[in-house]
Amino acid sequence: MNKKSRDGSQLKAKVSPLRGHFSIALRTVPTFLLVAFLLGMASIPKPAVYIQKLKNSRYRLIVDRKPYIVKGVCYNPIPIGQNYEYDWWSDPNKPWMADGKLMKEMGVNTIRLYQAHDNPEEVKKVIRDLYENYGIRTILGNWVGFWEYPCPFYAEEDFKEKIKNEILEMVRLYKDEPGMLLWILGNENNYSFSGLVNPWSCEEADKEPDPQKQKVIRARIYYSFINDIARAIHTIDPEHPVALGNGELIGLDIAATYCPDVDLVACIIYRGKTFGNLFKSLKATFDKPVLISEFGADAYDAYKNTEDQNMQAFFLESQWRQIYENLADNKEGEGSCLGGTMFEWTDEWWKHNQSDAESWKVHDTESNWSNGSYYFDIQAPKNMNMNEEWFGIVALSEELQDGINKRVPRKSYYVVREFWKSPILKTKKVKK
Amino acid sequence: MELGAFPVYAQDSVPLVKLSKQIIEAKAQADLYPLFVELKGLYFQDNRYTDFVEFLRSLSTKKNTLEPFTNYYIALSRYRQLKYLEDNQSWDEYFSNGNSYRQEIIDSAKKAIDATSARDPLNLYARLILWQLHKDLEDALHEQALLDLMNAVLEYAGQVKDYQPIKEVADNLFSQGEKSKAKELYKTYVTKCIDANLSDDKLKEMAFNFYTENNLDLAQLVYDVYMEKISKLPKETAIPILIDIAKSFSYQDKGPSDALYAENIFQKIEALGTKEAFNEGLSYLRAWNLEKIKEYISAKDIYLDLINRYPKNAHIDQATFKVGLIYAYALADIKNAKSYFEKLAQQEIASSSQGISSFYQLGLFSQWEGDNAKAKEYYNKLIEIAKDNFGDTVVLAKERLKEIEGARPIEYNLKTFMDLSLKEENKIYDMTKIELNSSLHKVNKDQAVSIASVAHTASTGCMQATLEYLWSGDLGLSTPSTSESSFNTAYKYAGTKAINLVVMSPSGAIDRSFDIVDID
Repeated sequence: MNKKSRDGSQLKAKVSPLRGHFSIALRTVPTFLLVAFLLGMASIPKPAVYIQKLKNSRYRLIVDRKPYIVKGVCYNPIPIGQNYEYDWWSDPNKPWMADGKLMKEMGVNTIRLYQAHDNPEEVKKVIRDLYENYGIRTILGNWVGFWEYPCPFYAEEDFKEKIKNEILEMVRLYKDEPGMLLWILGNENNYSFSGLVNPWSCEEADKEPDPQKQKVIRARIYYSFINDIARAIHTIDPEHPVALGNGELIGLDIAATYCPDVDLVACIIYRGKTFGNLFKSLKATFDKPVLISEFGADAYDAYKNTEDQNMQAFFLESQWRQIYENLADNKEGEGSCLGGTMFEWTDEWWKHNQSDAESWKVHDTESNWSNGSYYFDIQAPKNMNMNEEWFGIVALSEELQDGINKRVPRKSYYVVREFWKSPILKTKKVKK
Repeated sequence: MELGAFPVYAQDSVPLVKLSKQIIEAKAQADLYPLFVELKGLYFQDNRYTDFVEFLRSLSTKKNTLEPFTNYYIALSRYRQLKYLEDNQSWDEYFSNGNSYRQEIIDSAKKAIDATSARDPLNLYARLILWQLHKDLEDALHEQALLDLMNAVLEYAGQVKDYQPIKEVADNLFSQGEKSKAKELYKTYVTKCIDANLSDDKLKEMAFNFYTENNLDLAQLVYDVYMEKISKLPKETAIPILIDIAKSFSYQDKGPSDALYAENIFQKIEALGTKEAFNEGLSYLRAWNLEKIKEYISAKDIYLDLINRYPKNAHIDQATFKVGLIYAYALADIKNAKSYFEKLAQQEIASSSQGISSFYQLGLFSQWEGDNAKAKEYYNKLIEIAKDNFGDTVVLAKERLKEIEGARPIEYNLKTFMDLSLKEENKIYDMTKIELNSSLHKVNKDQAVSIASVAHTASTGCMQATLEYLWSGDLGLSTPSTSESSFNTAYKYAGTKAINLVVMSPSGAIDRSFDIVDID
């Protein structure tokens, strides 16, 4: 099923022409079949989760027939001393239960998981526990082979087939979980188009001497692949939207041509205090609803060399304000935003030096990347101000509580909680 | 003491009471402007914003007609307070009161707008605050707020003779990055000022004042009007004035300059007075000005004109050498480059630093083209002529000779730069994706210089791409590594130094560039 039939308003348009054929049907179809058909038609349920298109390209997410603002966090609860290979899904202490409780108290209604674990029963258990105990829904993602060794071969049919099958298997496994919200395909895979990170190529791009044209070739190949997967997902799961994960808005002008079947875009945006002109730009290039699927700030001041929870809270509050201003219900904004999933719930102590197990036990303060939009500490040496291990809304303590690292909510936990309670400024028309 | 319901500090009490009295007794709205500015100063100097808001509220109860002012200053005060809290990271107050302050800014500014007309500067100031808030929030209203502000300013300009508020709004827009809108208002302001029959001298003075304030956009707007007026004067009078203006805007390492604007004036001079107006000093300045902003083709043409018209000028070797460099590394034209380097090398006494460097360049071309015998000849000749001088160029020549003797290729960084600069198939590396600049371009021997580069690469988010910086050419006392995008150095020998850079990404070269520094 394609996107059109997932949209409530368009579904009506599809049903109504049947009325014109009613008299013909009466003469040719046995009555019991007709009754059964009409009963079936009357009870055609809307998808559990769908995107409603309103006037002027405004969009909102509908979940169980009610508008739903995604108030989410990215979730990857790696304990101190472990790295990304750690299997937290099978942790008998169930860290998601303690986290879910804290999340619910904060107002979080959604978690975003980057990729499901190998054991489907464990994944289902996490999704169910969060949903049944705390009403928290899950966005499930897939890297779309971005981290495959030696590189993602998006131009090769065998590779694409393998990745597509993996994703469709994920959809089959979890589509019936009541806590499922939507699917995200990829994350920042589009950054590979330039060849600067995770470079991949193909004969066509190799023959092209102009680097700009090479990028366009790679974008076309990748986005066509994403569209192919999105279409396949819709056929097996009409109940949940499919998002294209994308770093910034890069490449979306090309995706506009090659990704007609994705339902929304899930953007990873780190622009500091606000998202700038993102919503307006998006409308001009890729007019689909948007989920800000990664955003936030770290809580470490690389310039002063000290934790600064306020700095993180300052950025997060400001970013959420802009998300709310661009929700469908706010008539002044672009109306295309469905919400966001902050990066991230807990700190991750393994990130600075992934290959050194000893460093996973240390909360490293050395920065991994630079971003001038986070201006409080941009004067750090070599402008390296982004501390990848310090993005948690809750910090991790080495002290254990119920078998897991104790969660210590940062200031942003409370500031965002308060913001969600009273999010919008009242504006009145100014006299011209 | 108590003033209304609000306590004031003892040290403020006298001026505050006096000011309050003056404000309450003021007969005309116009009288209130300076009084409120003074009042604001009393509180803002100590960042006592909430105190000021409380005082304004108290003041507004004394006299209804003060309300537009008190409302505007409440909005301004809260706006400044939020900035202050953010700058000083006073987060407790920021988080607990931030939203209510924002609401106050919106409500108070709107009240001030509603209570005033387009003839009141206060109306513009209130709209300005409202726009600033919306811009800071990057919310959906900021574009409309800007439009409303612009319309209000234009309406104001059509009705009122006091143009200073227009400039104040323009200054604010300019400082907050709304340059095109600011220029629009500066233009309105200048036009209005000129309509007021400003004399040529006053106009020139006004332009010069903006220039010294480093407000070059406004200075240029006024100079444009001024130049239009003086262009009607006899050429003999107009040209020296234009030359002075062009000189002041020409590139300089420190101080205000706008090389493109200077070149526009040079073109005006050329159109007015033919080339005769350009003596050798002015021609050299024009070429150098263009060279510094990497307008290499135009720079080369002016240097050639200088060489042809003033073959004995003081900069002849430097100009000839630079023409060679530009032909080679900006235009990939080795044939022409060689002809200029040969001119220098063939001088009877090739003793200038540029003459010596020409031998090096000629040797380098030969080596790159595979003619090692010819290259050796040039390098050996260089060493022979240089004797104990030009040590840095001699070192480079010896390094190249070692490569030839060891049957090794040209050092990797330098060869990569030459390949990207000179090979036909590498024309896409056109120096647009790297900014390479020296902190100083006219330098004394042993003076510290910073060489910095910025590569404009595609965004990679939090996945930082590893870039390599391949430095070559005249690097002075420093040997920067491939991980360094900038380095500090100094030069021990005089001459014209070319710094070369290629930036590499995991998928290949991003671009290449070169910068020229003159050592006295």
